[in-house]
This record gives sequence, structure tokens and C-alpha cells, in this order.
Amino acid sequence: MSAVMFFQDGGSPVHRLNPVTKLALALAVTTTAFAIPVFWAPLLLVLLVLVPAVVVAGVGRTYARLLPLFAAPLVISVFLLQGLFFPEGTTVLAAWGPVAVTAEGLSFAALTSLRLVAMLGAFLFLLLTTHPGALMSAMVERGLSPKTSYVVSATLQIVPAFRARARNVLRAQQARGLDTTGLRRRVRTLLPLIGPLLLGSLADLEARAVAMEARAFGAPHRRTALLALADSPAQRVARLLMAAVAVAAVVANVVGVAR
Amino acid sequence: MTALRFAPPIRLSPGARTALGTAVVVLTYASLIATRPTSPHGVGGSAALLALVGYLAGSLLIVSGAMARLSTSTVTLFPVAITLNIVIGQVVRISGLPVHLDSIGTVLVGALAGPAAGAACGALSSITVGMTINPGSLPYAVTAASVGALVGLFARFGLFRRAPAVVVAGALIGVVAGMVSAPTTAFVFGNASGQLGQSVVIGTLQAYGNSMLEAATINGLIADPLDKVVVCLLAYAVLSALPARLRQRFPFAREHGVFGRDRRAAAEVGA
Repeated sequence: MSAVMFFQDGGSPVHRLNPVTKLALALAVTTTAFAIPVFWAPLLLVLLVLVPAVVVAGVGRTYARLLPLFAAPLVISVFLLQGLFFPEGTTVLAAWGPVAVTAEGLSFAALTSLRLVAMLGAFLFLLLTTHPGALMSAMVERGLSPKTSYVVSATLQIVPAFRARARNVLRAQQARGLDTTGLRRRVRTLLPLIGPLLLGSLADLEARAVAMEARAFGAPHRRTALLALADSPAQRVARLLMAAVAVAAVVANVVGVAR
Repeated sequence: MTALRFAPPIRLSPGARTALGTAVVVLTYASLIATRPTSPHGVGGSAALLALVGYLAGSLLIVSGAMARLSTSTVTLFPVAITLNIVIGQVVRISGLPVHLDSIGTVLVGALAGPAAGAACGALSSITVGMTINPGSLPYAVTAASVGALVGLFARFGLFRRAPAVVVAGALIGVVAGMVSAPTTAFVFGNASGQLGQSVVIGTLQAYGNSMLEAATINGLIADPLDKVVVCLLAYAVLSALPARLRQRFPFAREHGVFGRDRRAAAEVGA
């Protein structure tokens, strides 16, 4: 992955939604998918909630490319592992020595992989349509600590610069004759890489801390936002509804419906 | 009122939030270990939901409690540490080594600024990666938090002064990390990892009659200590190379003599 983030800008209605609404959707879809222990629950969530949302947002093509990239390794290994070696399988469909394909194993693999697709898909939808910075500002408006928001936002800005610096350090070390071929040498390369990288990054921390303190960064009071993010009564109702659905699914899970 | 608020409606003190988060994590782990799922859906009952929601809620409480008490100079260290986790983690993943090495920054923060900072940095690192690069790292936030917290504790008791002690600390941290992440691997991911070596180990263990959780735990006890020993040694090497002036800037490292008594630093400060 060369990109730090997947965000794709666009003017669709989904992009214009308040970031918190999309976060609520991702959380509600994930919770519900994991709470209802039948395989069609995550399947329906993906097909009826996530796919339409992604299509409306106009990021369908990227989504269709990225979701398999994340999900395929997990889905393949869950089917191989639990399809062949499920410890609690009793209905044996086929067996060769220690390997036994069981109906329970296959149904467990199907449920788990669909849940994982729902979870990864829900957050991928959030990532593709929401700028992490905007999400952080929206969360700070709702009481998240500005320190936490700073950590996430600053990390996203530092990573590309840090990568460029790492490349330069590596080239400089190679110019000095450092051999970077072979496994053992690669491990040895890490140290002369980390040292200069870290020293360079730590050098300006103190100045930054002072500058931030001078702008009341550590002050415990709630701040007012310069740019208010759009929100609407409809979105508030939608968030309440999504929360209610997720809670109901969890309650159903605890009580043991649909077992 | 909105349906989603990030400040708890009941004002808990930061210490109470951290304690409550820790309690939630411990309770989640205990109930996941205690349940012997016997339903026809096997492990598909409440275990997956509990592992996902309990662990995540616990880590978020720990982060919110810890962040409230950390100084600005500690917080400014986090982005650099998390960037280090991300970049080195990616380099190592491309190089195909059998380790992750994606927690060097977390270990540095834990050793320099203490358990609370280490825990918050670890969890935020997983959350940042989960929000930008790979959503699959979100459920493992609690593992990263426990690694950071333990590094802080061990540093406080002087295990980061000499290399042999660092190896011991790394092995212990790896054992805990393996145990803590096992329920997530088993119940949330169905023991799938997408990594060939790990899948072979887990498949073999399950074929020999271990339950999914047992297989994930044994695999974690093999792979994690190796990873964390290497990470701690690398972090120790970096810390030793840091100028004493930088190391002594952190009150935690100064008070508890994390690096022993820095005579050079004392001389520099005195000069």
C-alpha cells in the first residue's frame, strides 16, 4: 500500500453526510453482523446496506477492488482451516486421516467469513467516503479529547514525510556502502535506518510542544468549532435508529433468539 | 441530543475510566476463557460479539482515561511513534520476515513515558491503522494497549537497563500479548490470518484435537514472544543511541531511572 489513506473526494450525498453518521453506520453494521448468529444477517447487511451506500457515493469500483483485497486472504484461510479441521464438527461429509470436512465447520466458516466481510466492508465504506480529519473534527465537536484527535490527524500528515525521509536515509546508507540484499542484512539494515529517522523526528518535538501549549492545546475546556460540520434532524434520527437496531441485535444475541 | 457522543454522559474521572476499561478487558477475557461453547453453532454464539465489543469498549475507555492525564510533550511523541509502527510494519511485511515488528514506537513510548502513555499509544496506533490502512487491525487494539502498558511497568522496575533483562521483558510481554489476542483470533477471525505459516501451525494444532481457542493461544505463545523480544531489543538499541538529553526530558524515565543513572546526562544538565 503506497497510500496512507483511501479517502476519495466526491460531491455525492453520501460524502456530504456528517462523518459521525457514517461512523455510526459502520459501527452498527459491524455490531449487528456479529450479534445475529445466522449467516444471512451479515449477507443482507452487505447487500442491502453497504452496497447501495457505496454505489450512491460513486466509489463502487474502488470498493469492489479493495474489499476482496482485504477479505480474500481471510475468507480463504477460514474456509481451509475450519472447513478441514473444525474441532467441533460431528456431521462428517468426507474424511482423509486427520482431515475431515464437516457440515458444522463449513457453516461456521461461512458465518465467520461473511461477518468479516461485513466488518471490513463497513469500515472500508467509512474510509472511502470520509476524510479522517473531518471525522476527527466531528468527533471533537461531540466531546472527543482534542489530544486524541491531534494524534490521529498528525500521524496521517507525518507518515508520507516519514516515508520520504526513510527512503533518503536508506539511500544515504547505501551510498556509504551498506549492503541491503539478503535476509540477515535486511535485519541489520533496520538499525542504521531507525536511528537517524527517529533522531530527526524527535528533534522538532520540543518546539512543537511549546507552540501547541501556547495555543491552549492542553486546556481542558470545550472548544467552539470554526467550521461547523453539516448535520440535520434526519441524520440525528437515523443515528438513533441505527443505535437502536444495534442494541436490539445485541439484546437478541444475549437472550438467545435465532440460535 | 445525538445518538453518538464521545464524552461519557456520566463524568468519570480519568483514573476511573482507565480502571473501568481495564476491568472490562479483564472480564471479557475471563468470560471468553470460561465459556465452553456447546451450541450447535459452536463458537458462533456470543463469543465473537463479546470478543469484538468487550475488547474494543475496554480499549476506548483506557485511551480516554489515559489521554486526559498525559502532558502535551508526551502526546506530541505519539504521532512519531505511531508513524514508526506503520512504516516499519509495512517495510517488514514486504520483506517477508516471520515477525510483525509493528510495535517499536509503542515500546519506545512505554519505556520513555510510562504505562498509561504506552497503553494509549498502542491502542491509538491500532485505531489509526484501522481507520486508514487496514480495518482488520481494529479488533487488536487491546493487544497493542497491553503491550504498551507492560513495557511501561517493566521499564519502571528497571528491565530496560541491560540487554538480557530486555529479552526477559520482551518474552513476558509476548506471552501476555499472545494470550490476550487469542480470543480475537479464534472467535472474531475464526483463526484466519491470511498468513501461511500461522495457518499451518493452527491447522495442525486443531487437527490434533485442540479447540479453536487453544490452537490460537498456543500459536500466539509461539509467535508473539519472538516478535516482542526482537521489537524490545530494537527499541532498546534505539533508546541507547538517543542522546541522554533527549531521554532525560521525560519525567517518567528520569524519576524511575529507566536507563539507570545517566551520568552523562547529569553532567550535561550540570554543565
